[in-house]
Amino acid sequence: MKSIKEMTQGELAAFVQSRLREKGVDVVLSGGAAVSLYSNNRYVSLDLDLVNPYFVKRRAIRETMQEIGFREQGRHFVHPDTQFFVEFPPGPLAVGAEPVKQVNELTFSTGALRIISPTDCVKDRLACYYHWDDFQCLEQAVLVARANRIDLHEIEWWSQAEGKLDEFRRIRDQLTGREK
Amino acid sequence: MLEPLLGSTNAERVLVFIFARTEGYAREIARVFGGDPDSIQKQLAKFESGGVLVSRTAGRTRLYSLNPRYPFLKELKSLLEKALSFYPEEEREHLVMSRRRPRRRGKPL
Repeated sequence: MKSIKEMTQGELAAFVQSRLREKGVDVVLSGGAAVSLYSNNRYVSLDLDLVNPYFVKRRAIRETMQEIGFREQGRHFVHPDTQFFVEFPPGPLAVGAEPVKQVNELTFSTGALRIISPTDCVKDRLACYYHWDDFQCLEQAVLVARANRIDLHEIEWWSQAEGKLDEFRRIRDQLTGREK
Repeated sequence: MLEPLLGSTNAERVLVFIFARTEGYAREIARVFGGDPDSIQKQLAKFESGGVLVSRTAGRTRLYSLNPRYPFLKELKSLLEKALSFYPEEEREHLVMSRRRPRRRGKPL
């Protein structure tokens, strides 16, 4: 097994998840780190958001994180051998008002990584763009959409449910790479 | 009103205030309800870490608002709207009818 110092972002996330899973704690990677993985690191996030969908008590998470050398620092867990830090946002696992139905599993040498799908990753970033006009989030959504097979109809339907159909229509061509 | 559901008076005060005024900060909420700003601040932080609220800073003040990405936002707003409709008229007006338009510096009332 690689040391934490040598682990890539995906390997570290898989390692942490595997150790938590052994203790019955199931978490799912979301947020900026999912964008990093799905964009082949064209966007870099040092923050590993492992969503805690079933509201497991923080004490249980803290114990496991301490066993593998992480130290709690406010909301985050940091490790002396890696620049990546881990956060456990509270559940439910959702994009906007809709629950995440499909979770993908990627295999790394350090374990299995449960991660939101590329389509949900795009929705997650678009939620941030739709509600806060954050253009960095739009850029991240575009990176993921162009590097992966995504369900554009599903994203359109979801945008409509979020009351953002007009915004979706404005950025649709950016997602598909068919800009004029 | 919602205390049995939310578990504390301050939790209700915080959510009802922010629903009625769109955003708010601890000292302001405490002033309106006559509570302790530190307890209100703790409740705001608790809702933020639970994903119900988000915050931003304006000068030295941390302003909180409902998280537009909270999955139960629509349902929460319905509940708060209903709760607010049960508040005494005077209290409801005090919460909802606050000045939101800008006031130029130095302008007399």
